[in-house]
Amino acid sequence: MVGMANNVLAEAAPVGSWLAIVGATIGCSLIIIGAGMSIGFIGGKAVESIARQPEAGGRIFTTMIIAAALIEGITFFALLICFLTVFWLH
Amino acid sequence: MNVTALSVGVLAGFNPLQPVAAVPLFKFYAGTWQIIVSNHMFMVTLATAILLIAISLGVRQNGNMVPRGLRNLIESVCVFLREEVARPILGSHTDQYIGFIWTVFFFILSLNLLGMVPTEKIVALITGKENHYGGPATANIWITGAMAFVVFLMFHVSGIREQGFWHYVVNLAPPVPWWISPLIYFLEVVSSLVRPFTLAVRLFVNILAAHMVLGVFLGLIVVFKSYGMTFVSVVFVVGLSCLELLVAFIQAYIFALLSTLYIGFSIEPQH
Repeated sequence: MVGMANNVLAEAAPVGSWLAIVGATIGCSLIIIGAGMSIGFIGGKAVESIARQPEAGGRIFTTMIIAAALIEGITFFALLICFLTVFWLH
Repeated sequence: MNVTALSVGVLAGFNPLQPVAAVPLFKFYAGTWQIIVSNHMFMVTLATAILLIAISLGVRQNGNMVPRGLRNLIESVCVFLREEVARPILGSHTDQYIGFIWTVFFFILSLNLLGMVPTEKIVALITGKENHYGGPATANIWITGAMAFVVFLMFHVSGIREQGFWHYVVNLAPPVPWWISPLIYFLEVVSSLVRPFTLAVRLFVNILAAHMVLGVFLGLIVVFKSYGMTFVSVVFVVGLSCLELLVAFIQAYIFALLSTLYIGFSIEPQH
């Protein structure tokens, strides 16, 4: 059972039909639009609040990093689903 | 350059998961069970050995109150985790759970950083044979899943130990009007199962995606077979490796912070 899912994924060639691949690619781009907009919004608000109060810069930076990592987490869930569609569709 | 041959080579010949997947190293038999040891399990053992030896030797310095060198590094990281992460969330219960949080942070950090070191290439340079003695251990859903399962056990056990079993089970949901409380209770149970799952998948996919992109860009050198592509590829891989060192630290910190948050939520009674 060691790394079973990883081994199955590594041995399979991309056998999904072309429509699945197109769907996965378009889905991937939509995910990137969402993630880019969210993290850009967080970064912009962080820069604004540091400009308002520079002595709170350290805490605001830490909060921004935490929020960006959480948003990236859900981005990668969705990207994982796109990846499974391309490589694991029998 | 023949575009068809190029695209066929890229799409059908190269599997991006291959540098990252677990490779069985050797197997041994325990009774009638067959246990296969993969390179990821070897990396976990190596990280455990390095942590046990380095941290216990690093914090020795008998008699000195002023920390220097490796002891200073370990102590500053531990003090940061205790004061900035654990104490605002856990309050007076900090010292009960700080050992667990330190273990989680250092273990995941060392696994991530060991995944960035190309140990199999170093061993191949020394011995001259191809082998698989290294690999990104956190790019394995079973390893991060096992860490997340340990966090799941930890926050339920800590909640039960603080509040007593029935009090904890009844107080999972915040107080709401009676006609909606079954739905809220169901949502709380589902969320306590989904949270460790998201912990595992977040760490797994971050490290997996980073190593996959590295593997793809190094594979492009083999596909294109030109010097310009090699230069571009190597520059990009160096930059991406620096980004991944940052991601290794951030993901370990996020894992420790979120497990602290979940333990803090389960200790406080919701009333």
